[in-house]
Amino acid sequence: MKLNQLILVSFAGLQFIFPALAGDETATNSAGAVPPEIPATVAVSSAPDSSAETAEIEALKKEVQELSQKVSALEQQRELNQPTNATASQEQIEALDQKVRILGRQRELDQETAAAAAKNQPRLSLGANGFSFGSADSNFVVTLHGVLQVDSRTFEQNDKVPGNDSILLRRARPILAGTVFHDFDFLFVPEFGGGTPGASSSATTPSIYDAYVNYRYSPAFQIQAGKFKAPVGLEQLQADVNTSLNERSLVTDLVPNRDLGFELHGDIAGGVLSYAAGIFNGVGDNRNSSNIGFQDNREFDGRLFVQPFKGTELTALQNLGVGVGGSWGDSSITNTLGLPNTTGGSQPGYFTDGQQQFFAYTNGVVAGGTHWRLSPQGYYYYGPLSLMGEYAISDQDVHNGSHSAELQNTAWEISGGWVLTGENATFAGVTPKHPFAPHNGQWGALQVVGRYEELNIDNDAFPFFANPAASASEARAWSVGLNWYLNQNIRVNASFSQTSFTGGNATGSAANTAPGSVADHTENVFFTRVQLCF
Amino acid sequence: MKTFLNILLVLSLTTAVDAKEIKLLNVSYDPTRELYQDYNAAFAKYWKAKTGDDVVVSQSHGGSGKQALSVINGLEADVVTLALAYDIDAIAQQARFLPADWQKRLPDDSTPYTSTIVFLVRKGNPKSIKDWDDVVKPGVIVVTPNPKTSGGARWAYLAAWAYALDKFGHDDAKARDFVKRLYKNVPVLDSGARGATTTFVERGIGDVLLAWENEAHLAIKEFGADKFEIVTPSESILAEPPVAVVDKVAQKHGTTDVARAYLEYLYSDEGQDIAGRNFYRPRSERAAAKYAEQFAKLKLVTVDDAFGGWQKAQKTHFADGGTFDQIYQP
Repeated sequence: MKLNQLILVSFAGLQFIFPALAGDETATNSAGAVPPEIPATVAVSSAPDSSAETAEIEALKKEVQELSQKVSALEQQRELNQPTNATASQEQIEALDQKVRILGRQRELDQETAAAAAKNQPRLSLGANGFSFGSADSNFVVTLHGVLQVDSRTFEQNDKVPGNDSILLRRARPILAGTVFHDFDFLFVPEFGGGTPGASSSATTPSIYDAYVNYRYSPAFQIQAGKFKAPVGLEQLQADVNTSLNERSLVTDLVPNRDLGFELHGDIAGGVLSYAAGIFNGVGDNRNSSNIGFQDNREFDGRLFVQPFKGTELTALQNLGVGVGGSWGDSSITNTLGLPNTTGGSQPGYFTDGQQQFFAYTNGVVAGGTHWRLSPQGYYYYGPLSLMGEYAISDQDVHNGSHSAELQNTAWEISGGWVLTGENATFAGVTPKHPFAPHNGQWGALQVVGRYEELNIDNDAFPFFANPAASASEARAWSVGLNWYLNQNIRVNASFSQTSFTGGNATGSAANTAPGSVADHTENVFFTRVQLCF
Repeated sequence: MKTFLNILLVLSLTTAVDAKEIKLLNVSYDPTRELYQDYNAAFAKYWKAKTGDDVVVSQSHGGSGKQALSVINGLEADVVTLALAYDIDAIAQQARFLPADWQKRLPDDSTPYTSTIVFLVRKGNPKSIKDWDDVVKPGVIVVTPNPKTSGGARWAYLAAWAYALDKFGHDDAKARDFVKRLYKNVPVLDSGARGATTTFVERGIGDVLLAWENEAHLAIKEFGADKFEIVTPSESILAEPPVAVVDKVAQKHGTTDVARAYLEYLYSDEGQDIAGRNFYRPRSERAAAKYAEQFAKLKLVTVDDAFGGWQKAQKTHFADGGTFDQIYQP
């Protein structure tokens, strides 16, 4: 009930109790005494003077009316105040809503600004592919990689060549690679390993293996300058960490290793055709160039390799590649640098899988004149299967005093592998699907590999350029091995190689040193390797 | 007859073989998405009919200043259609991708359409915003992008400044105070005009959006006249968004001819009609007359008249340490 209604009801009650309040003078007069609970003002109205009573009643009526008006006014005021308050509250809510929305948007903008700023921050990454840091736009990148190979070689018939068993750091290379100004790549690879029995000092002391700058105009057009692998042999061009067995085949004995020069190269149509052609100082078979090479003549090396089905839907043939590499030089060198490396012996010559020299030029032989090589080559990878084949001819003019000859040495090899755990084999190695984690029942990837190879020395090499009693004229080898890829970075190998020879049955003092000590019996060698690469 | 048919066949095959697909990249400012979506389709049709070649125009949109910087930093734009001449000047001066006098190469200072800055308010105009004076009142929340990155925001800033100059008898100090009060009402700065429109229209932030005229019309067209109203101030600025071929990039891509034709076609009857249809003020009298009703009449000052040109305006107001940096307190 509203306040004015309450008052009016009260006033009606008073009229019921005191009819005089309703203007009925008779009733008022007959009322007699005033009840004690009646207010004084009302009691006064019960006075006997009728005019006075009327006046009082009028006054009371007026007072009641005024009160009623006040109540009405108050009620109206209250009703008016209600929407005002509601409006104020609504405005407050809207203002708060705006503030919340604004704060939300500011937060989003701050995040956008932070994300934009993050894009301009240098990038840092550490993972299976090495440690890398570079500018936000990738125009400048430096990557640190490394290779460590801890090998063991254990020879049967150890008494024939004492001291050739070994645990050795085959390779220990920190690798610094990178890019400057987006299109210029560089690579710097020093070698701190080595330890090949009887190797030359250059192989056992720290030396620079790769140091070059490469300008990439496009994938199809690149120019490289510095010291790097000459583009001839297929297995030679495969990364050291990805070869199927510990040591490369006898074919690699006949092709150049790293040389100093300039090379134009590229991949056309996404690698369907790869080409490389360069001019180099020129090195002997399987030799690494020193960091200088003062000579007047140069060697031209080149290679074409085609993968005709690369990128096609013929998945079984996508990784079929065939090519040919070659070199030609007309050297006036009259010293031993144009001859093969001295690995495994004291004189230039060729060596076995066990890195022992089975053929050596006799002291006094020098290179001079034309030296050309030709190497047809190919590989095939499909799923866990890998196959590689290569043939090489190294044709070289040599001199020994008054004797001269053009010697044509040849070699070939075929190798294959199968990944037992089902991963894909590639020219760039095997990546295990389940990296080694024995607690989770994961053991990495296993691959079996095998190889057969031969190297034939030109018969004209004997006897004026090589001692037939010490050097073999032919080496034939087969190898089997097991490669365990624990993860992308760690690999453990074990393999066995057997090499047999034709010729080289040395006697006397020649039988005590390589090649005589090597070629007079079949070489059986067991290899192991623990490899870290990142 | 057979020989004739053979010749026709050979000719048609030759034509088919010769037909090329040409790709252009148009780097533009924020609110031109709809305009160039329409225009690119029209131009492709025109070019196909004229030459037989297919043209595919890709678009990149963002704050005008930001877009110019992207082009300078290597975004390979065949053409740029930016919010103001200063941004294309920056490409010419810093990257030297086009000559300094690029603006003389096409009619109307290479500005095929114009626009201006208006107010977009919520339906019923609850804050009773009628002119710039209402925008600077305390308690009014104003949405406008960052003049450092957005061309539209720079036009809006200068429009407010020009109004204040007229109001206060060209008293720079008072104009500065006026614009300072305006930016005191700006709680967030989006990087581009489209972002600011989204903030106002979709996020429901603010009482008034300082909007490109075409953007305001588009918001009403898209979201309905029952939600927003356009308020035209008594005075604003004549916004002249220019276009230019980025010579070095077009030469590299071999697209110079088609890029030039692409911009020239903006001045054609069809190009002008598309501009008008998308709420840009066309240059041609014919299209201007056709779309006259959709554009309010108001006093429009030019950046040249009121500020001595873009170079001066940029240096005074928007360069690092300029007036905007001094008056805006985030």
